[in-house]
Order: sequence, then C-alpha cells, then structure tokens
Amino acid sequence: MNTVVVTNVVKSYGRHRALDGLSFTAGPGVTGLLGPNGAGKTTLIRMLATVLAADSGTLRLLGRDPSAERLQIRRRLGYLPQEPGFHRAFTVFEFVDYVAILKEIVDRRARHDEVRRVIAEVGLAEVSGKRIRALSGGMRRRVGIAQALLGEPELVLLDEPTAGLDPEQRLRFRELISRIGENRTVVLSTHQTEDVAALCGRVVVFDGGRCMFEGTPEELRRVAEGQVWLSAERSGVLSWRTGEGLFRNIGQAPDAARLAEPTIEDGYLLLLGDAAVGVRS
Amino acid sequence: MTEWHVDDELATRYSGGALGGTAAASVEAHLLACERCRGSVATAVPEERLRKMWGEIAEAVDAPVPGPFERLLRLVGINEPTARLLAAAYSLRLPWLAANAVALLFAVLAAGIDDRWGLLWFLAVAPVLPVAGVALAFGRGADPAYEIGLAAPYSAFRLMLARAAAVLVTSAGPAFAAGFALLGRDWAVVAWLLPALALTALTLVLSSRFEPAPSGAVLSLLWLAGVAAFAVRDEPLAMFGTAGQVTALTVVLVSAALLFLRRDRYQSEDSR
Ligand SMILES: Nc1ncnc2c1ncn2[C@@H]1O[C@H](COP(=O)(O)OP(=O)(O)O)[C@@H](O)[C@H]1O
Ligand SMILES: [Mg+2]
Ligand SMILES: [Zn+2]
Repeated sequence: MNTVVVTNVVKSYGRHRALDGLSFTAGPGVTGLLGPNGAGKTTLIRMLATVLAADSGTLRLLGRDPSAERLQIRRRLGYLPQEPGFHRAFTVFEFVDYVAILKEIVDRRARHDEVRRVIAEVGLAEVSGKRIRALSGGMRRRVGIAQALLGEPELVLLDEPTAGLDPEQRLRFRELISRIGENRTVVLSTHQTEDVAALCGRVVVFDGGRCMFEGTPEELRRVAEGQVWLSAERSGVLSWRTGEGLFRNIGQAPDAARLAEPTIEDGYLLLLGDAAVGVRS
Repeated sequence: MTEWHVDDELATRYSGGALGGTAAASVEAHLLACERCRGSVATAVPEERLRKMWGEIAEAVDAPVPGPFERLLRLVGINEPTARLLAAAYSLRLPWLAANAVALLFAVLAAGIDDRWGLLWFLAVAPVLPVAGVALAFGRGADPAYEIGLAAPYSAFRLMLARAAAVLVTSAGPAFAAGFALLGRDWAVVAWLLPALALTALTLVLSSRFEPAPSGAVLSLLWLAGVAAFAVRDEPLAMFGTAGQVTALTVVLVSAALLFLRRDRYQSEDSR
C-alpha cells in the first residue's frame, strides 16, 4: 500500500513553477527526495504536510485527500520543517510537550509519558531539562525529530534532517532515521547522495520541479553503468580529478579510458548533468 | 538480627500496597537491615506497579513547572493544555505584560495632567496596547513553532482566537480598571473599548493574508493618525462620540462575520 501518492502536481510562486507536473509514490520504509537546492523539495514536503495546497494535480496521503480530510491526515503525521523554529526559552521537555498539546494529547500524564518516550528515542533524555537555546545545532535537530515522532505517526516527513551536521552526527542521524523507518513511512529530503545510499530504500530524484528518476539506490547507481570512465585527460561535461591522479568522466568514453564501477553519485550527476545541458528536456 | 523474615505472602501484600501503617513500617524497618528480604520484595512487586512508580518519580523530576501567568490561567479555570498554549505566546508572558502595564501607567498619568487633551491621550493609546499584544501572539513571525503547529491537528484558528481573547483580557482589563480607578466614573474613560475591539478584530481578519505584526502596526498608525486628525480639526474627543462608537461596533461585527466565514483560511497557507 502506498502511503503517499502524488500525481501531476503543479505549484507556482508567481510566475515561477516550483513543481512542474511532479508524480511519485512512497510506501513504508525510507524514501529519499534527492535534488539540488531549488529543486522543489521543501515545496513538496510542505504539501505532504498539508500546509500548502497544489495548484493542480492530486495528492493522496494515508489514503485520504488532503483538501477534504486535512485533520484526519494531520492526526497521523509527523513533520520536521527545513528550518524548524523553537521557543528558545523552553526546555527540551517543555517544547516537545507544547507540540504534544498541539497534537491533541490532552491528558497530562499520558502526554508527559509520550514526551519522555520520544525524547529518549532520539537520545536526549539527559538534556531534557535544558533550555533549547543552550543546545548545539545537532541536538536541536534531534529535538525537531523528537516532536515529529509524537503520537507514533504513520507518515513522517523530514526536510533536510542531516543538513549542517558533522560526519559523526550524520552517522547517528542515519541510524536514528533508519530505525524510525522500520515500521512506518518516512519521506525525507536531502541533497546528499551519501544519505540516500546509507538509509533510503527508495529514491526520487528531481530537479526543476520534475521527477527525473524513481527507484532503488541500486537502480540509481546503475543509471551510470557503462558511462563512467577513468582517463588521464579531462573529457565531457562532467569530469573531475580523483585521488589517484586520473580523471573521472561521466558520459561518452574519452580516448584511452578504462570503464569504472559507477556510484550512486555518478547516477545522480548523470541525471542532473543531462538536465543541465538540455538533453532530456 | 531476629529470625523473622518477610515471607512470600507478606512480600506480595506489602508490595501490593495492602499492608497497613504499623505492619508496613515494621516490614520497612526490616528491609533496611536485611538484603535477602529486599530481594524477595523487589521480585514480588508487580511489573505494572513498578512502571507506575517509576512514572511518578520521572514526573516529579522532569515535568515542566508552570510559570506565574500559566498558574493564574489555571486559577481562573482554564484547562491545563490550553493554559500551556496561551502562556507560550510572547505577549502573554511576564515581560510583555509588565511593559503593557508600564505603558498604561504613563497613559493614565498623562491623562491626569489636563482633562481634555490628557484624556484623549489615554483613549488613543489604550486600543493600541491590545492590538500590539495580539499582533505578537501568533503567526509565522511571532510563533517560532508556527510551521510545526500548522501541520498539527490543533486548529490554528482556534489558537489564534484563544490568544487574542487572552491578550484582550490581560491588556484591556487593566486599562479598564485603571480608567475607572484613576480617571473617574465618566463614560468617557471606556470610550476606547469598542475601537480597541475593532482594531484587534481587523488585525485578525488581515492575518489570513498578511503577517499580524505589520498589519497591527499599520492599523495602529492609521488609528493614531485618525485620532490626531479629528482632534485637530474638530474637538479633541470628536472621534469617540456616538458616530465613532457606531462605526467601531460595525467594524467589530463585520470582522467577526468575516473571521467566521473565512475560518478555514487560517488552517494552512493555501490562501496566501
Ligand atoms: N514562498 C516562496 N515564494 C516564492 N518562491 C518560492 C517560495 N518558496 C520556494 N520558492 C521557489 O521555489 C523553488 C523551489 O524551492 P524549494 O521548494 O525551497 O526547493 P528546495 O527545498 O529543493 O531547495 C525555488 O526556486 C524557490 O526559489
Ligand atoms: Mg529545501
Ligand atoms: Zn529478612
């Protein structure tokens, strides 16, 4: 069963089309929305969060229509915005508790138990009495994830949850997110191919508001199969010098080149590179 | 030590909470000295009861302590979750309430200086205070968790109205009292009330489309300019006469109708 079905969605800001006939589906597990800045990831996630409506096209979330049954969807949704705001004078506990009230967990004791549960789940139990303004960026991000887990939502939306984290934090986040995705649908956005490789069962690549690829990370990797070459000379649009002093080229074979195993990043760059030079459009 | 120990049956009754005062006390005295019995009591405690006890301890340790304003709200009968939601607004916290009181105090002092122009000063400023408070009580600019709240099931419209009502009470209430207590029992000291409601209601109506803070600021400036213009042209209190009050009342009623009809627009960003 697909938790999220997006069909032909268009969304414009003034004259600018942020989403231009986008379609994709997501089911249980972690689905990554991969695309460069300005691709429309945030616009799409805000739509999935029922905060924004599409100009045209249809969305089905958890089997419901967000324009008619918004409240029912919101009751089963967890959402981490790209730039979540916090009441900085609140403690971690107070902030998560505040969101828990907005999520209609009325009974005080039950609510506090749930707040404790999600705070422990993201590993912040020790700092739950600390003020948010005293936390590091990575810890604040975890507070953001904690509130998204309140009430065991079936659909969890995370907008760039790993942006701005150092490598060690990033690793812990991947662990956390893949754990969250074990028994529900997680849709996250990222512009990092490593995130996709590390934790997504499915990936949707998009750019300029259009879907360019939908499949598993392995399938994304194979997009570049037979098109990645190592050579002594630079060639083609996409090529860069690797650690071994050779150039890695994506696209047509340069002279005296050796075929290389593609990575997910190669597949991604190939898709975007095509878009950049207008081959596909 | 004595030969007496806590047997299984006693352990179960004790840990189940079934023993009376003296019996429980003597069991406890023994437990302090005897490790073996401590072990047997611990295993006799039912899982459920242990969990509950642990929950109570956690609750005592880390449950948030309500601030003074939140306690006041609870005292007047507002339920706990709503009190928390209200007290989170910037203009419903102590610093703002204090600033509000100071501004009011100055207005009242100014009003005391000279009867006509002074009163005008008070009447002009009193409506601006609730508008400013309301404008800082909700919306993307004023509420850090606005986007999270928008996607949550709790109605953003309801939250807005609840906070606006709380601001009206906390800023119009003191102004009302101050007017009567310090300026006398003339009807004129409450002539600001309908204009205050009208400006507040307009701020709410506009916030379906614009940020409340700039809307509130623009409305307040227009209001002050209007009061000044009337005062210069006619007589100082001209704007607060019958015609002015009827206009204000009309604005309140129309705004209320608009709010009701357009209530769904406050629940997402679709209409912006
Ligand atoms: N509120 C807005 N008003 C105008 N343009 C916007 C707005 N939000 C996003 N955009 C534009 O829409 C496009 C997609 O933005 P966004 O969804 O934020 O992309 P991403 O999250 O992938 O970086 C960008 O070109 C951006 O400038
Ligand atoms: Mg974004
Ligand atoms: Zn003993």
